[in-house]
Amino acid sequence: MKDFLLIIKTEGSVWSDLSPDALQRHMQQGGQYISKLMEEGKLKNANPIDKGSRIITEEKGTIKDGPFNEGKELVAGYFHIVATDIDEAVAIAKGNPIFEDIPTQIEVHPLMPVGGE
Amino acid sequence: MERLLPDQVEIDSLIDKLYRQEAGKLIAVLTRFFGAEHIELSEDVVQDALTEALSNWKVNGVPENPSGWLYTVAKNKALNVIRKEKNRKAGTSDIAHFLDSIWTTQPALDYFFSEREIQDDQLRMIFMCCHPAISADSQIALALKTLCGFSIKEIASAFVTCPENIHKRLVRARKTIRDHQIQFEVPVGNELEKRLKAVQETIYLLFNEGYNASGGDMLIRNHFSDEAIRLTSIAVSHVAIKSKETTHALLALMLFNSARFAARTDEYGNIITLEHQNRLLWDRARIREGFIHLQKSHPHQFVSKYHILAIISSYHCAASSFESTNWIGILHEYDRLLEIDDTSIVRLNRAVVVAKVEGAGQALAQLEEIDDLNDYHLYHSVKADLQTQLMQYLAAIDSLQCAYKLAIIPAEKVLIKKRMANCKKKIQN
Repeated sequence: MKDFLLIIKTEGSVWSDLSPDALQRHMQQGGQYISKLMEEGKLKNANPIDKGSRIITEEKGTIKDGPFNEGKELVAGYFHIVATDIDEAVAIAKGNPIFEDIPTQIEVHPLMPVGGE
Repeated sequence: MERLLPDQVEIDSLIDKLYRQEAGKLIAVLTRFFGAEHIELSEDVVQDALTEALSNWKVNGVPENPSGWLYTVAKNKALNVIRKEKNRKAGTSDIAHFLDSIWTTQPALDYFFSEREIQDDQLRMIFMCCHPAISADSQIALALKTLCGFSIKEIASAFVTCPENIHKRLVRARKTIRDHQIQFEVPVGNELEKRLKAVQETIYLLFNEGYNASGGDMLIRNHFSDEAIRLTSIAVSHVAIKSKETTHALLALMLFNSARFAARTDEYGNIITLEHQNRLLWDRARIREGFIHLQKSHPHQFVSKYHILAIISSYHCAASSFESTNWIGILHEYDRLLEIDDTSIVRLNRAVVVAKVEGAGQALAQLEEIDDLNDYHLYHSVKADLQTQLMQYLAAIDSLQCAYKLAIIPAEKVLIKKRMANCKKKIQN
């Protein structure tokens, strides 16, 4: 089993863009999706990202921090999962019901194992 | 929602029943969240949830689904605790963090409080309580408290000791769990086999605490045997345990023995010996279930103490009368038992059967070779029985006097008195 980080990026936010009805369905389906991953022992962690992100940059020797400037795309949250390989991780990411609700991109990153291989 | 009218007595008895039914499950699932070292926290949270239920229902009436209500309260309390514990940097389990994220909180509560997961957690709890690093009396106390939902007061009155004593045993057990970093998990591989043996020992001990009650509150103790059967049923039906033969044998043994429970005492609580029991009072359904588990234990391929004891018990259950019991078959099983478990207690029980097959004289001779049961009232009681059969009434009275001094339960003392009177009558005639 290998660890993967799935970064969820959405165009707009489900909280502000979905009707109460759609939001309710979104939460229910999302819950079922997460439950299933838990049941299969594949979920290590999943967290939505709150408002107020900052970004730290280096410019001409000074390290500055400022508001995280998002365009219409925003980082909605992440999943830390385990899967046998990248293909399974991709399949898990594809199964996320969020695709039905809002334009979404999911990045699938393999995490480097401790000790290496 | 329509609620039932609250009635003090009704609510109290409902809470009692609910507590017995659900406390063990809730403590197990909360321990999965909090981690083994925080087992006391789980116990406290469940106690709190119950207290809250009780005071709410007294005012608002009992909800339609009391269990569901209790689970919701316990879930909320678990959430509060996890969030507080996090601040205190207490060690928590590998799933506690699911309650820190709004994406995973609800799914985690739904999933980990599901019937199947709770079953798994109870098995984990069984293995934790029966860990060989914990002393036997602490194991029993911990199992009764955390798995079976008995209060410290109830456990104390069952064991005729003060609550402080039980409390001390629990403190010791929890300390051992922390010191040995005993995990809340079902062991795997070779370790499983070894630990399963320890689990069986403890459960059988618990069963016998209820079955051979040597004093204490009988009403509470009678539950012990049923709880032992319930815990074994969890183990025997769980996929994590691959070789189940011995556990099936243990379950069969307990089912056979408990099937005769109702026939063992009369309406005044006096003991009725096997010979004089009304066999129509034996629980046929339980006996049938016992035979199913005996079959699943593959008694012809596997040998353990539980297999042999279950077979012996099955002979008794199968006999339509005391006279028609297959004593030769039983004696053969006792001989096999001696090969793997040569103890004075086994020899004592075997002597009773020897009397049936080879005569009381032979049995008495064998009994007199046992030299370390002088403090055990049943030793003297059996001896007296054999002496009576041999018409050695004076010797029998001596033995009964020893038994009387050592017996604790009033019902046993009454029985001994009665037998003494019978012997005296024989001498006078």
